[in-house]
Amino acid sequence: MTESEHLFIGKRTIRKDAIPKVTGTMKFSSDYYIPGMLVGRIYKSPYAFADVRHIDTSEAERMGAVVITPDDVPSKLFNPRLVSVFEVTYKDYQVLTKHPRYLGDAIAAVAAPTEEKAQRALEALRVEFDNIRKPILDPFEAMSPNAPQIHDRILKGDERIDVKNNVGCVLEYSEGDVDKALKNADLVVERRFKTNRRYHMQLEPKTALCIPHSDGSITIYSTTQTIHNTRILIGQIFDIPLSKINVVKVPIGGSFGSSIQINPVVPITVALCLKARKPVKITLTREEDIYDHVAYQMHFKIRAGVTKDGRLVAGELENIMDIGAHQIQAYPLLGTALGWFVSLYKWRNIRYVGKAVYTNKVPTCAFRGYGAPQVSWAVETVIDEIAEKLGMDPVDFRLMNYVGKGDVFWGQGPTVKSIIRSDGVPELMERGKKLIGWHRRRLPSEKTGRYRRGIGVGRSFHTSGAGGPISGEVIDYTGSILKVNEDGTIDYITALQDHGGGTLDAHVKIIAEELGVPPDLINLVWSDTQTTLYDVCTHASRGTYVGGGAAVQAAKQLKEKIFNYAIRVLEKAVSPDALRLGYDKELKQAVVYVVDNPNMKITLKDLATLAWQRNWGTIATTVTYRSKAAPPSFTVYFVEVEVDTYTGKVRPVKVIGGADVGTVINPDFAAGQLHGGFAQGWGMTVLEDTPYLENGELMNRGFITDYKIVTAQDMPKLEDFQVIFAHTYEPTGPHGAKGLGEAALNSVAGAVANAIYNAIGVRFYELPITPEKVLEALKRREGGE
Amino acid sequence: MKIPIHFILNGEEVSVEVEPNELLLNLLREKLGLTGPKYVCGIGECGACTVLLDGEPVLSCLTLAVDVDGHEVTTIEGLAKDNELTAVQKAFIEEAAVQCGYCTPGFIIMIDKLLKENPNPTEEEIREYIRGNLCRCTGYVNIVKAALKAAEELRKNTSLIKIKK
Amino acid sequence: MVEAVKLSRHNLFNTHIIPVNFKYFAPKTLNEALELLDKYGKEAKILAGGTDLLVKMKMRLVEPKYIINIKGIRELNFIKDEGNQVRIGALTRWRQLEKSELIKNFFPSLYDAVKVMGGTQIRNMATVGGNLCNASPAADSAPPLMVLNAKLVLASKKGEREIPITQFFKGPGKTVMEPDELLKEITIPKPEEGSGSAFIKVARTSMDLAKISAATALKVEDRKIVMVRIAIGSAAPTPVRTPKTEEALIGQPFRPSIIREKVKLVVNEISPIDDVRSTAFYRKEVSKIIVEDALLISYERASRR
Repeated sequence: MTESEHLFIGKRTIRKDAIPKVTGTMKFSSDYYIPGMLVGRIYKSPYAFADVRHIDTSEAERMGAVVITPDDVPSKLFNPRLVSVFEVTYKDYQVLTKHPRYLGDAIAAVAAPTEEKAQRALEALRVEFDNIRKPILDPFEAMSPNAPQIHDRILKGDERIDVKNNVGCVLEYSEGDVDKALKNADLVVERRFKTNRRYHMQLEPKTALCIPHSDGSITIYSTTQTIHNTRILIGQIFDIPLSKINVVKVPIGGSFGSSIQINPVVPITVALCLKARKPVKITLTREEDIYDHVAYQMHFKIRAGVTKDGRLVAGELENIMDIGAHQIQAYPLLGTALGWFVSLYKWRNIRYVGKAVYTNKVPTCAFRGYGAPQVSWAVETVIDEIAEKLGMDPVDFRLMNYVGKGDVFWGQGPTVKSIIRSDGVPELMERGKKLIGWHRRRLPSEKTGRYRRGIGVGRSFHTSGAGGPISGEVIDYTGSILKVNEDGTIDYITALQDHGGGTLDAHVKIIAEELGVPPDLINLVWSDTQTTLYDVCTHASRGTYVGGGAAVQAAKQLKEKIFNYAIRVLEKAVSPDALRLGYDKELKQAVVYVVDNPNMKITLKDLATLAWQRNWGTIATTVTYRSKAAPPSFTVYFVEVEVDTYTGKVRPVKVIGGADVGTVINPDFAAGQLHGGFAQGWGMTVLEDTPYLENGELMNRGFITDYKIVTAQDMPKLEDFQVIFAHTYEPTGPHGAKGLGEAALNSVAGAVANAIYNAIGVRFYELPITPEKVLEALKRREGGE
Repeated sequence: MKIPIHFILNGEEVSVEVEPNELLLNLLREKLGLTGPKYVCGIGECGACTVLLDGEPVLSCLTLAVDVDGHEVTTIEGLAKDNELTAVQKAFIEEAAVQCGYCTPGFIIMIDKLLKENPNPTEEEIREYIRGNLCRCTGYVNIVKAALKAAEELRKNTSLIKIKK
Repeated sequence: MVEAVKLSRHNLFNTHIIPVNFKYFAPKTLNEALELLDKYGKEAKILAGGTDLLVKMKMRLVEPKYIINIKGIRELNFIKDEGNQVRIGALTRWRQLEKSELIKNFFPSLYDAVKVMGGTQIRNMATVGGNLCNASPAADSAPPLMVLNAKLVLASKKGEREIPITQFFKGPGKTVMEPDELLKEITIPKPEEGSGSAFIKVARTSMDLAKISAATALKVEDRKIVMVRIAIGSAAPTPVRTPKTEEALIGQPFRPSIIREKVKLVVNEISPIDDVRSTAFYRKEVSKIIVEDALLISYERASRR
């Protein structure tokens, strides 16, 4: 079906949550104030590596505060992220710890009627520490045989395992004969890379509100990408039946992966609430939030071999991940990092070693792209270097070697493989080249003067969800409920969270398209765990693809039920198969009619009212759905930068962001993903990092005064930022659609870094490429080094 | 020591007692039920808590509640009058300038004020004016587009979207 | 090793609230304020715009017993043209400077600084006096006011004194002000005919403190430099003038090659450090560049007037 044949898909519509959001009336979890509510504060370890000897709570309690210490809460180990199956879930977290492993680990918590009183109570806690050690901040130091153990024993599933050399988990893989291939290659490029430790800087700080009820049940509001996993984890930690826990879906003020896991603030708030038997809310301060989560920091070694006619023959990746003090989802990331690597280019012979290494730093978690921005930056740098060394055009070299249509794709790691059925890369490359003016691109050596411009290309992809035909190590299914109300309007109920990208509006359009009911007559229900079916999490760019898939299936089932009722009215029709459902442009509503006899019809509105008045029952359906594939959405960025060679400052001059998302359901929001993806990617490439002091403290002390993200003034002008979509159709997707959220970021850093190289002739192997690094490199070159 | 203060909030008189160290942001959110202004950084880096004080945008996270005594405060909740969205609110919806929505109140209050000061701003002027407001979702593209569109609409003075209460 | 720790600073920080209790005063006149300062000066802090003080209180860098909120003192908020000089009340907000034709026309280096300082909201709140009294090495107003030969009027119950801004700063967060003193106003002589000034700031983003900044004022006659003043921010414990570089430039022909050579001297007159925002190496390298750039802009502006 082409775009023009769609009634609602691809059309601009007003998002459902728009009016509450623009009028300031939308309630996020931090906006709830419950009568009688206590405010909580967390006592954070002042040491990066120590043991707690004693906690004196007497003064705080004398002040009337409710206090919890590790002795008051369950001590069982858990992993706050429940996306992986039990057997591969590594558990080292506790609600509160006596063994702080980074500066910021939660040791105790207090609750009091006001934030100020809670703060005073927090300051009244007396904590004695023992065994204070020098923090280990470098993963290679952590792996050395005489390094102290950050964790001795952790759980893998229910099995206790010893941690050796601070390596939390390992994944190795090989295919073919890399050594032989490299030996026979005409050119081998070997490079080491180090990525930055970026902070999500989602605008809403992590928040939890827990309300107790007289029947022993609790209700939770929190910043989360998954209400069901929140419920399950809280149930597991506190041994509460899931039927006694209700987690409410509330909008989230940005997340970017930082609430795939249940944020530590949630179990702490629940523990305070259970002790106080009063509603308790904790909203982290920004300075606490920066100590809560950051992106994975990766140290790569890549070796790539190629023949002189431009055929890749081998790719080797060593991936040492500095995961910080706890495992949130390191093991599956070892798999996906490999998946991103092998699914970018046809290496033909592959070898991989991935290690997740503990350090006494802020725990790392998914950050938009789940390792793909990091891997893609490194690979795209190597690919650019190879093309240059071979004297080939970087675009041509990529088109020769990339993994595309008809190839085997395993972006989510070795356990889930599928064949690529839609691929817009050639189109995006062709159009992108024209729009950026690729022909203007000159060699770095041809450039002179203070301000030098360069053009670079970067490509990547992301999967659409983590589904597949067989059940792997990742849980991926969702649920959808549709019911026709008594006036023919529709309630759509899903647990799936919208982070703001418009995911649920995409579902509404998909349902509208399927049923012919206009989107404004479909109600997006703000639901909770007790009234929805399980959904794993809005992550892995699965919202539109998987959630949309469930919506299609639910709509199809609903349609059958509608026909079964309609046949009672349209009695001349021979069977429900002879009925059709569609949007009537004149009546502006959905109409059931007999095929080829459009005048034999009844509006859905009348049918629903009839079903009610005649006691036929509600037209409703429930679907639980797993996608059988996880196709890649490809993105290509062409970026032109200008480098001030006197100050090292890099400025974005022109950006072409291209995406292959199959059918574009929400054009404005899809473009918005690329806009935001570029801004984050730009920050990743030239700006953002969280360096440490020797004592394990962040140099920024938690304040965003020293964690800068770009402002409106730092970004290119409107006319210099163009977004394009490939004309593709994904046969496994809802109405041909694929995901986008992460792909929109994944290829940016590679494009920017390659543009910087093209401007000044220097390659950088460590992110961010700050003006300081640029200037130092230029000065070194000037000095003849 | 509680201090009684009286001020105009979104067009209505308010009398309330506050502590000297109480912040305007917390007074609005906790006591007066206006949660449109958001806490994001608490230190004046992000603009999410922006309100108008006597018509000028200020950061409510760095304003003492006592300081608004005798003055006029407008929050995002007070922008739309007579159940009608403002041109800026309408443009934010139409240009898809809203994603997660957490920064949105701050941006809207800023752009609304900008257009009162300067009905025909250039793109550069818009970007400069809102550089104290951070957004992590949109890359600012559709926000800038919305500002330009609202400016155009205001100059044309076309009809606005009705809020249905 | 056993250590009993009451608290780390991370448990003291709380940017949701002002986690400090204080006694509060809101004088309406300068005299009232000076009385209060006389009484509580050592344990009091002046609240003007609040954009620095309240942040520091949230971070527990200062915990004053008394807050003297001077926002209500109208007599300290003015920009006055007095013929050969302009007087700016200490409570004048940055946004007022931004909208003042007087500032834009006569003190372009100060106007440059205004345009790159904070966001609109900060400029609506922050005062000129507050920016100076906080004595940050990165204070955007300091380098331009230094090259413009500004003077500061300090008032106390005992009387007033006027000092050149170059003598005002003592170190990060430290000034020559006595605990009972208040910065009342800033006076800037109008620049001499045929001179020009400029300010350049290098920062991580458009909404940031300076990594390094520089202001220059310049007058060229018969192609020779007859007056030059240079001030650099974020490169020493206080914003600094660079007299030796200035001396080396005086009398020189205004030629880009000569300027480029002479401005190299500025690195000897600053003592930058490595910190979270930048490196000493970078600050030294870039100080030369922005001083040169600022001189070229100053020259251009001088010729335009």
